[in-house]
Amino acid sequence: MSGSFSVQYTDAAVVGAGVLGCFAARALAALDIRVTVLEQREDVCTGITRANTGIIYTGCDNRPGSLKARMCVEASRSFDGLCRDLGVRFDRCGSLMLAFGPRAENVLRKKMGFGRANGVEGLRILGRDEVLAMEPRISSEVTAALYAPGTGTIDPWELGIAAYENAKANGVDFRFGQRLVRMEREAGGFLLETDEERIHARTVINCAGLSSDAVREMLEIPAVRIFPTAADYIVLDDTLRGFVKHVIFHEPEEKGKGLTLVPTVDGTLLVGATEREVPAGSRGGTDREGLQALSGLCAKVVPGLPLSEQIRNFSALRPNPYHVVEKGGVWVPADRSVNDFTILSEEGLISLIGIKTPGLGCAEQLGRHCAALAAGFLGNPGPNPRFDPMRRAPVRLHGMPEDARAGVISRDPDYGRIVCLCGDVSLGEIKDAVRRGAVTLDGVKRRTGAGMGRCQSARCMKAVMETLAEGQRIPVEDVMKDGAGSYVLEK
Amino acid sequence: MKIPVTEKTEILVIGGGAAGMAAALAACRNGKQVLLVEHDGELGGILRQCVHRGFGLAAFREDLTGREYAARFVSAVRGSDITVRTGTTVLSLEEEGSGDEDAFPCAEGSGDEDAFPCAEGSGDGCISRFTERSALLSGPEGLYRVSFDQCVLATGCRERNLGSLGLAGTRPAGIFTAGTAQQLMGRGGLCIGRRIVILGCGDFGMIMARQFTLAGLEVVAMIEKMDHPGGLARNRKECLEAFRIPVILRTVVDGILGEGRITGVMARDLQTGRRYEIACDTLVTAVGLIPDRTLCRGLERADGVLPSWLHLCGNCESVHDLVDSVSREAEALGRRL
Ligand SMILES: Cc1cc2nc3c(=O)[nH]c(=O)nc-3n(C[C@H](O)[C@H](O)[C@H](O)COP(=O)(O)OP(=O)(O)OC[C@H]3O[C@@H](n4cnc5c(N)ncnc54)[C@H](O)[C@@H]3O)c2cc1C
Ligand SMILES: Cc1cc2nc3c(=O)[nH]c(=O)nc-3n(C[C@H](O)[C@H](O)[C@H](O)COP(=O)(O)OP(=O)(O)OC[C@H]3O[C@@H](n4cnc5c(N)ncnc54)[C@H](O)[C@@H]3O)c2cc1C
Repeated sequence: MSGSFSVQYTDAAVVGAGVLGCFAARALAALDIRVTVLEQREDVCTGITRANTGIIYTGCDNRPGSLKARMCVEASRSFDGLCRDLGVRFDRCGSLMLAFGPRAENVLRKKMGFGRANGVEGLRILGRDEVLAMEPRISSEVTAALYAPGTGTIDPWELGIAAYENAKANGVDFRFGQRLVRMEREAGGFLLETDEERIHARTVINCAGLSSDAVREMLEIPAVRIFPTAADYIVLDDTLRGFVKHVIFHEPEEKGKGLTLVPTVDGTLLVGATEREVPAGSRGGTDREGLQALSGLCAKVVPGLPLSEQIRNFSALRPNPYHVVEKGGVWVPADRSVNDFTILSEEGLISLIGIKTPGLGCAEQLGRHCAALAAGFLGNPGPNPRFDPMRRAPVRLHGMPEDARAGVISRDPDYGRIVCLCGDVSLGEIKDAVRRGAVTLDGVKRRTGAGMGRCQSARCMKAVMETLAEGQRIPVEDVMKDGAGSYVLEK
Repeated sequence: MKIPVTEKTEILVIGGGAAGMAAALAACRNGKQVLLVEHDGELGGILRQCVHRGFGLAAFREDLTGREYAARFVSAVRGSDITVRTGTTVLSLEEEGSGDEDAFPCAEGSGDEDAFPCAEGSGDGCISRFTERSALLSGPEGLYRVSFDQCVLATGCRERNLGSLGLAGTRPAGIFTAGTAQQLMGRGGLCIGRRIVILGCGDFGMIMARQFTLAGLEVVAMIEKMDHPGGLARNRKECLEAFRIPVILRTVVDGILGEGRITGVMARDLQTGRRYEIACDTLVTAVGLIPDRTLCRGLERADGVLPSWLHLCGNCESVHDLVDSVSREAEALGRRL
């Protein structure tokens, strides 16, 4: 058995290729070291990174002095530059946090205080009339709002994929389909085992998302564990573009989850998010009551919102971290969930455990933080002289100026062949996504938007499958929708 | 920057299905210059994937398959003066200028005022005389703008899908709209699954139930929320009864089960409220067609009325059960242009 293992040596092994693993890899690539990423799935950004709210926060939600506050403010300030380097769409549309009564107004004032202390600029508390002038579709029951002009939105996977491509271009070795199953310390570092590979690494950066606690516990005794809860979301068609212009947070007057509305960079409107218990080990799925709760909240906050325009709903898992203590042989939560980012650095094993909001926005900061810790263990290696932080972004025809688009097609006629009518996505873009690493229908969807619109791939599925099959030289029957077992056709 | 108009036509027909072809042929016979644009690589539209019979009983007094029916029109189009662009998509339609001098197209060139006829009954008087209508096309030849006098929108319809129904559950593989299933099976000869639940018992669902059965796949059940199957009597007889398809009435699907591939659906009996699982490896939705008028967006006047130069026909105008009436209506429209 061990004879069939392939053996690798690397300086830094990153476990997990979500947005955090990809940014950790990118930051490590700036050092003159070998970097290897192990990802159990077939592609990047299939975990928490694929399903979240996609908001880039300003830092007014975080307690002053916390790591979250520091990183979030820094991330917000540098986000335009990051997106320029990586060729990622970012819309700094601003946000309004709505109050419908005194309790919520108190929350607004508290956040305003946090924001000021954290150095967030432009925050203002608005009265009812001002709110309604900015967002006339909000219920007139609104009493006040906290306006944060710096809030923005992105497609979360677009950011993660960009970091992946840039890390890869800078020499990082991404190994897909490699699930870390065993890890041990050895002289000079660690031995990592997947079903196919053995990797000797001097340091390990654990970015395994929902499994980050389990990965850490391959070596350490439990300290922080993840107890996931689920979230439900509804996506509304881009016919509603402009329905609200800002990210809307509704701070409920009663205890419980509020509503968030996000005008996405794709023009759709994202409605989220519930919070509910899930059985251990669940991979999710939306919940009937959860979806009903969302529509109930919409009726209160934005009464005219036509939920009939929904094109999809999806669920997410929140990786809630808790300190744990042993009680009769089981590890149980010791207190309320850990509030700040949990970064554990244990003799060369660096773990990001249960990174929740604003982990997406702070991905670059978290990645750099991990790389700095890793560099310490590696004896502070010099910089990678060939490191280039700029990514050559893929062509995205939709929204491109006409003359530029005409130029693209004249160089490659495949960009003239529209495949996805809803998203205005061409054959050229789909072929390019496959060249860049998409291996499934969902991988193409995340990279190009094909199949994400109102017809939900009804019209383009066949063409995308054929392009995937051709690009990978596999029979079309082998094309998967998503991960293992998600075969689209029967043989 | 916007690209300029590089081509002119009298009639632009968007969509090369039954409706677009019939309208284009009639307009062409009427002496008009016609440009027919089809997104797909070939003409025929939805007919191309219809391998069953039942087409042309009124128009040709023959029982043809969809493909055979389409073929008659395709060869007529190919033998005509119609300019055909397949693999080409109309991205947007626009109308520019409104009496302002820069947009006065008749001022130069031929001076042929008939090329920009005054809109009749549009209520906006001669303003429309000065407007230029154009379409942005994308095809292998490039991105280009075509101006036209009249436009026939024959873009057909799209299928309602699971996403719009708001069902709870996971999002596994193995869920198709009837049209996608038909496309994969008919045009590619591919197999979409073995044990199929069909949601919606209208014409499309019934035809697919028959097609699945004939292909050796098992239709576990058709689920219909009404208390009787919808659609044409002919389809109830020739599909449901002839192939003994199990139909579960007054029932909806309200949940999806399975992770990699779908393993079942949760059915809910609307009368008793009982929820139960039906095992399957494939779910096909046939829950309705929606006229695809995406290109009309932004063109509606304040009162919601479309400009008088824009004509809808076929399934894009309203969903038609019979192709013969699509062809007939489109032809009448084409003659009037
Ligand atoms: C509901 C929700 C809403 C959110 N909204 C926002 C927001 O609006 N703004 C914001 O800034 N942040 C938000 N966040 C937080 C943000 O999404 C996360 O912090 C971030 O996506 C976490 O990324 P990750 O890389 O840790 O996780 P993941 O994307 O889950 O990546 C972990 C990867 O590790 C792999 N892996 C796991 N175990 C192994 C193993 N043994 N071997 C190999 N690979 C393994 C997994 O396959 C996966 O690809 C939200 C989070 C949630 C849950
Ligand atoms: C499953 C099924 C079974 C049927 N069975 C029968 C039957 O047995 N007997 C019968 O008489 N009738 C039947 N019908 C009805 C009949 O076939 C249809 O009503 C008719 O074919 C519709 O024609 P159409 O031209 O309106 O639309 P379509 O055939 O859908 O054509 C629209 C065309 O427009 C193109 N298009 C869309 N957007 C653009 C764009 N932006 N740019 C360029 N091109 C675009 C599309 O690619 C498509 O080719 C059936 C229909 C279905 C769906």
